[in-house]
Amino acid sequence: MSDHESANPNADAELHTMAEGLPPLDPDDHGRGEGVGQLKEVEGLSQGQLVWRRFIRHRGALVGVLILLSVTILSISAMGVFGIPGWWQYQNYASTHDVLNGGAPTLTLPQWLGGPGFAIGDHPFGQDEIGRDNFALVMKGTQTSLMVMMVMGLVTLVVGTTVGAIAGYYRGKVDTFLMRTTDLVITLPVLVLGAVMGKLVTTLPDKLDASDAMKAEIRALVPLMLALLLGLILWPGLARLVRSEFLTLREREFVDSARVAGATDWRIITKHVLPNAVGVIIVNTTLVMSQAVVLEAALSFLGFGVIDPNVSLGKLISDYQGAFATRPWLFWWPGLFIILIALSANFIGDGLRDAFDPRTKRIPSRREMDRALAKTAAAQGAEQ
Amino acid sequence: MSAQHETSLEGAVRLSRRIGGEVKRGDTVLEVRDLGVKFWVSGEWFDAADHVSYDLKAGEVLAIVGESGSGKTQSSMSLIGLLPPNGRATGSAKLKGVELIGLSGTRLREVRGNEIAVIFQEPMTALNPVYTVGFQIVETLRTHFVMAPSQAKARALELMRLVEIPEPESSFDKFPHQLSGGQRQRIMIAQSLACDPKLLIADEPTTALDVTVQAEILKLMRELRERVDAAIILITHDMGVVADMADRIVVMKDGRVVEHGTSDEIFNRPQHPYTKALLAAVPHLGTEADVRTPPALKVSMVAHGDQPVPLAPGDPGATAALLMENVSIDYPKQGRRPVFRAAHNINLRVDPGRVVGLVGESGSGKTTIGRAAVALLPIAEGSLHVAGRDISNATNKDLFPFRRDVGIVFQDPGSSLNPRLPVGESIGEPLYLHENLRGSELSKRVEALLDSVELPRSMRNRYPHELSGGQRQRIGIARSLALEPKLLIADEPTSALDVSVQARVLKLFADLQDRYGFACLFISHDLAVVEMLSSQIAVMKDGHLVEVGPTTEIVNNPQHPYTQRLLAAVPVPDPAEQKKRRELRDAILESQHIVS
Amino acid sequence: MIRYLGRRLAIAAGLLLILSFLVYGMLDLAMDPLDDLRISPLPNKQQLIETRIRLLQLDQPWPVRYLSWLGNFVHGDLGTAWRSGLSVSRVLGPAIATSIQLIFAATCIALLLGVTIGVISALRQYTAFDYTITFVSFLLYSLPVFWVAVLLKQFVAIGINDYLDNPVMNWPAVIAISFVAALFWAAAIATGFKRQLVVFAAAFAVTLGTLAYMLLSGWIVDPQLGIIGVGATALLAAVAVTMIFAGLSNRLALYAALTTAVVGIALYVPLQWLFFLVPMDVWSLLGLLVVAIVMAMAIGWLWGGPDRGVSMRGAVLVAVIISVVVYVDRVLQGWNLYVHASIINGRPIATIGPATPNLGGDFWISQLDRWTHLLLPTIALVLISFASYTRYQRGSTLEVLSQDYIRTARAKGLPERVVVVRHALRNALLPLASIVPVDFISLIGGAVITETIFGWSGAGKFFVVSLGNSEIDPVMAYVMLTGFLAIFANIIADLLYGVLDPRIRVNA
Repeated sequence: MSDHESANPNADAELHTMAEGLPPLDPDDHGRGEGVGQLKEVEGLSQGQLVWRRFIRHRGALVGVLILLSVTILSISAMGVFGIPGWWQYQNYASTHDVLNGGAPTLTLPQWLGGPGFAIGDHPFGQDEIGRDNFALVMKGTQTSLMVMMVMGLVTLVVGTTVGAIAGYYRGKVDTFLMRTTDLVITLPVLVLGAVMGKLVTTLPDKLDASDAMKAEIRALVPLMLALLLGLILWPGLARLVRSEFLTLREREFVDSARVAGATDWRIITKHVLPNAVGVIIVNTTLVMSQAVVLEAALSFLGFGVIDPNVSLGKLISDYQGAFATRPWLFWWPGLFIILIALSANFIGDGLRDAFDPRTKRIPSRREMDRALAKTAAAQGAEQ
Repeated sequence: MSAQHETSLEGAVRLSRRIGGEVKRGDTVLEVRDLGVKFWVSGEWFDAADHVSYDLKAGEVLAIVGESGSGKTQSSMSLIGLLPPNGRATGSAKLKGVELIGLSGTRLREVRGNEIAVIFQEPMTALNPVYTVGFQIVETLRTHFVMAPSQAKARALELMRLVEIPEPESSFDKFPHQLSGGQRQRIMIAQSLACDPKLLIADEPTTALDVTVQAEILKLMRELRERVDAAIILITHDMGVVADMADRIVVMKDGRVVEHGTSDEIFNRPQHPYTKALLAAVPHLGTEADVRTPPALKVSMVAHGDQPVPLAPGDPGATAALLMENVSIDYPKQGRRPVFRAAHNINLRVDPGRVVGLVGESGSGKTTIGRAAVALLPIAEGSLHVAGRDISNATNKDLFPFRRDVGIVFQDPGSSLNPRLPVGESIGEPLYLHENLRGSELSKRVEALLDSVELPRSMRNRYPHELSGGQRQRIGIARSLALEPKLLIADEPTSALDVSVQARVLKLFADLQDRYGFACLFISHDLAVVEMLSSQIAVMKDGHLVEVGPTTEIVNNPQHPYTQRLLAAVPVPDPAEQKKRRELRDAILESQHIVS
Repeated sequence: MIRYLGRRLAIAAGLLLILSFLVYGMLDLAMDPLDDLRISPLPNKQQLIETRIRLLQLDQPWPVRYLSWLGNFVHGDLGTAWRSGLSVSRVLGPAIATSIQLIFAATCIALLLGVTIGVISALRQYTAFDYTITFVSFLLYSLPVFWVAVLLKQFVAIGINDYLDNPVMNWPAVIAISFVAALFWAAAIATGFKRQLVVFAAAFAVTLGTLAYMLLSGWIVDPQLGIIGVGATALLAAVAVTMIFAGLSNRLALYAALTTAVVGIALYVPLQWLFFLVPMDVWSLLGLLVVAIVMAMAIGWLWGGPDRGVSMRGAVLVAVIISVVVYVDRVLQGWNLYVHASIINGRPIATIGPATPNLGGDFWISQLDRWTHLLLPTIALVLISFASYTRYQRGSTLEVLSQDYIRTARAKGLPERVVVVRHALRNALLPLASIVPVDFISLIGGAVITETIFGWSGAGKFFVVSLGNSEIDPVMAYVMLTGFLAIFANIIADLLYGVLDPRIRVNA
C-alpha cells in the first residue's frame, strides 16, 4: 500500500487539473439540449410505472380492458360460478321454456337509439327452436370460453417461458433439443393438432369403462382438459420469442456482473434475465389468449371441441349455423361475444407492446406540432 | 475540383440545378445566422440548439465540437432537412445566398447529395446492406445526373480510386458487410464526393473506427481537402481529431455556441471557461513523467515472429494478483460457427496494488482476456492464477470463494446495470450473496459505497435509466468494489463517456485505487487514458500480446512495429504537436504499407 | 449449397419420422373405431366388435401397427379408409389439388394486399388511416373464420344473387360506398389537408360515376370489359407501373410501358380469334403468358437507353397485367351463357363445392365456374391472413424506416418514392420470408374450416371427416402431407432469405 501511494503522485496531479473547472457534480443536472426531454419524461419513475403510464395512454388498450372486464363480470354474475347462483332468472341453461313470439329477442333499444325504449324482457337474446334461453346459453358459453382462454394462456405462459428460458440461457445441446421439439410441434397447423387433441378429449369418456355417472363427470371436465391440452400446442411461438430474448439478454453486461458477483444460474435467470423479458412474455401471452378464444370456437365448430352438456360460444354457433335464416339472433350473439373477447385481448396486447417498447414514442401530427410551435412563439413574443 | 476526376463528369448532364455557379477557394459558401433546432417531446417544445451563427468558406474545415447533447449534430442536420419528424429548424442558413431552412420537395432534394453531402458516423448502418457499394455510389450519381450506367460506373470507380479503395473493380460489386470498417467509411466518402458538393458535413466520421484506421481516414481526408474545393463541417467530440483537421472551431454546449475562433485561438488561447475545462479534460498522450516504473520491469519485452512475449518478472516476494502463463482462450463452437481462438499464448502478470494497462484495437482479444481473468470465460490452455488461487480448471462451485477476490467494471454503463433493479440493489448484490448481509446492515454498506464514489445516498432508490452515463459508471465501480477485491478488471470503463465526465470518473478511479490499493487490469483502446493510470502497458493485436513494458518505455520508445503504428495514430489535442505527429504517422504508414 | 440442402432434407426426414410416430400414438389414443358398435342395439354386437378388432388389428399394441403402417408408407401405400373401403391415395390426390388451388390463390392475394396496405399504414403512422387499418386488422384477427363464412354465404352470395335476379338501383348504398372509398384514397395517397380534399373529391366522383354507370347501364348483369375496358386498363397500368417503379421522368421506361400497352391492345382482336378457333387449356394459356413476357422484354430492350433493365422490368409488369385482363375479359364473355344455364339458374355466386357438377360447356365456361366457386372461400381465407401480413409489414417497414441507411438515402437526394420502394420496401420484405411459411401452415389449418363450411372436398375436409370416423390411415396420410408441406415451405423460405439478403449466404 505504502509503495503504491508513492507511485502515483504525478498522475493524480494531472487528474486533478483535468477535473478542475468542470461544473460541480449535480445529480439532477440534465442540462439543456437534445436528450433533455426524454430524461424529463422518465424522471423518478420505476420501470413498472413507466410501462403503466405508456399503457394508459393507449386508448384502444384501455377500452379493451374495460370491455373484457365487463364481459367477464356480466357472464360470471349472470350465471354464477363454482355453484354460487347468479342473478339471471334461468340458471339452468339447458331448460326449455315456452317459445314466445317465435323466440325473438326481447331486448329493445332505448329511445335515443331509435328503439321503443330500453327493456330486457324475459329472453333478451331470444330463444332457440325448443325454447332454451339464449342469454343463459351465451353467458354460460362466455364463461367456458373465458375459462379456456385463461387456462390456455396460463399453460402457454408456463411451458413457453420455461422452455424458452432454459434453451436461451443454457444454449448448446439443451437448446438444440428443445428447439427441435418446438419445430416438431410447430410443423402441424395448430388447428390440426388441436382437432386431434379435441378428438382425444371427446372420445375419452366413452372409451373408459366407467359408470355412467362417472362418464358424466368426466364430460363436465371436457372444457378444462381441452384447454390444458390446447395450451400444450400453443406454447412454441412464445418459447421461440423468450429464447431469442434470453439469448440477447444473457450477453448483456449486467448478467456478467451478476455472475462475477457470484450469483447462481437460478438467481440470474429469475432475478436478472426474466424480469427484463417480462414485456415479451406478457405481450405474447395476451396475443396467444386472443388466438385461444378463436381456436376453441373453431374446434367446437368442427365437433372436436366442447361437447354436451357443456356450452361454449363456438359450440353455440356450430349448433345454430343452420338457423341463420330463421333465427339469426342465435348466431349473432355468440359471435359478437367471441369478437368482443378476442378483440379486447388483441388491443390489450397491442397496448402492452407499445408500453414495454421504450422506442415507441407517439409523435403528434404535423399540424398539431405546428400549432403548439406557433403558440410558444406567440407567448415568447408577448413576453418581450 | 482537381483535374483528375473532373473528366468523367464531362458530357454528363446535371439533372439537379446548382446554386450560384462554381465556387473558388476562399469564397464564403455558407452563412448560418441564428439557427435553432427544437424538438417536440411529450407535449412541449425543447430547444436542442439556438442562436447558432457562423460563416464557412470554400476549402475550409470548420469543426463543431461539443459533448453529447450539445446540439452539434442536429444543428448541422437541419441544414439539409434531416431532422427527425418531431424536430423543427428556425433561423437562417444560406448556401451561396439561397436559404436552406424551410426548403422542401424538389428544391431540397436538389441540394441533398448534390450541393451538400453528408458522411455519417457508422458506415455499417449508414450503407444499405442489400445493395452493393458500387450501386450505392452510382445511385447518387444518377440521381443528380443524366448518365448511362457504364459512365456512372466509370465515375464511381474513379471515386473509389480517389479514396484509395484497394482493387476498386472487384470492390465495386461487394456488399457493405464484405468490407472492413475503414473501407466502408471510404465508400461513404466517395459517395459524398460523387457530385462535387459545395459543402461536406462529416458527422463523427472516425468515431466508430479503430485509432489506426482513424489515422488513415484522417490522412485521406486531409489529402482530399487539398484536392476538393468543398467546405467541410466536421462534427466531433474528439479534440485530437479537431487538432488534426480543423481551420476554425465552434465549441457548443447545451445547444449554444460558447466559443468560436481559429484552431490556434481555441487551442492556445481559449477564452470561455467551458472550452478551458474541456481542453483540460482531454487526456494527452506523452505527458506523464517517469516516476512510476516498477522495480521489476525496466525494459519492454517484445514478441518476435512466433515467439510470444515472455512472462514479465514480478515484484519480489509478492504473490501476483493476476498471473497468466501461456494462456489461450477459445470462444466455443456456436451452431455451425466453428471454435474461434481469441487469445494465443498470453503471458501476463499484474502485481498487487499496481495498474497494468491492456491496449489494443477492436477484435484484438483484450476484452477476452479481461473476461477470462474473472472466470467469465474458461481458458483452453495454460494456467491462470488470481491472487494465488489456481482457477485454470475451476468449476462453478469452486469459483464462488474466488468471486470475492475479483471485480469487473464494464464499458457500457447503460448495459451493466439491471434496468429492473434500483441501483442500490445492484450495488448490494455481492454483499447479499457473499456476506449474507440483509436489511439495515446491507443498506449501511451500500450507502458507504455510494459515498465513496461521491454519489448522494438518496440515489440508491433510483433506476439506471434515470441516471446519466457518468453516474451509472460510478455505480458500476461502487458495485465492483463492494467486496474490496484484490483484483479489479476495468474493461473500457470510460470509453462510452464524454470527455469531461471521463475526466471525473478517471480521477475518482485513481483516488479509489489509492484508497483500496487493489491491483487492476485496465483495458482500453485509448493509450492516453491508459498512460495516465498504469505503471505498465501490454499491447495486444489479433489475439497476441506483442509488447509489454513500463508505461514510459512503451509511450516514448515503442519497439514493436504495431506499437509504433498505434502510438503514431493517436491524435493529440494540440495542432502544432499534432502536425509533427502527423508527419511521423504518415511516414510510418508509408513505410509499413498499410491500407485499411 | 447442395450439402446444406441435403442436411436440411435429412433433418426434415427425421422430423417427419418422429412426428409420424408421435401422431400415430396420439391418434390411437384419441380414436375410437368401436364407437358405433358400442352403443349398437344389435344382438350380435360382441361378434361385430371382434370382427372389427381383427380387421383393424386392434389386438396388437399400437407400435406394432405403427411399424406396419410405416412399412406400407415407405413403399408408397397410404392404406385404406376402412369405413368406406376406399384407397387413401385415390381420394387424397384430387383433394390435395383442390386445397392447393384454394390456399395458393388466397396466399397470393393476401400477401399482395397485406404488404401494400401495411407499407402505406407505416408511411402514414399516427394518422386516421393508420388507426383505421390497425382497428380493421385487429377485428379480422378476432373474427372466427367459420362465423365470417356463414355471413359471407348469407350476405355476399345470396345478396348478390338476389340483386342480379332483380337489379334495382340503391342510391344511398352507392353513395355510402363511394364516400368510404373516397375517404380511403384520400387518407392513403395524399398528405396535407388541401391535397387530401382534392383526392377525396376526385375519388368520390370517379367511384360514384363508375358504380352508377355499372349499375344503371345494366353492365353488372352482364359484365364485359371489351376492347375499351382492356385498352383503358392497359394504358392506366403502363402509367402507374412506370410511376411507381421508374418515375415518370424516365421517359424511355414510360415509352416502353406504353408501347407494350399499345401492342397488347393491338393483339386483342387476333387473340379473340385464336381463342375462338383453338380450344384452350391451362398450359396453352401459360404459354401465351410467356410469349407476352418475352415480347415485353424485347420492347423494353428495343427502346434502349442506358437503363434497359428498368424499362424491361416495367414492360414485363405491364404485359402480365394486360394478359390477366385479357384472360378476365375472355372468361367474362361466357357470363351470359353461364348465368342462364339451367343448372345455374341466374344465381352465379356459388356457396357449395369447388365446381358445378355436370355443367358442360367449354374451357372458358368451366374457368368462370371455377372462379365463382373460389370467390367466397378465398375471401374467407384472405381475411384471416391479410390482417397478420398487414400488421407484420407495418412493423417491419417502421423498423426499416428508422434505420441509418434510410437517412443516408435521403441525404443523397433520392426522391421519396425511391427511398421507400428501393431502400425501405426491399429491406422490409426480408423478414416476411420467415413469416410466409408460418402463415402458410396456419392457412392449411384455416382451409380445414373453410372447406368444411363451403363443402369443398379438399384435403382439410378429408381430414375432418376421417378423424371423425376414426380412420387412422387417411388422417396419417394428411398429417404426413401437411408436415411435408410445412417443412418444404420453411426450406424454401430459408433459401429465399439467403438469396434476398446478401448478409446471409447459405454456406455449404
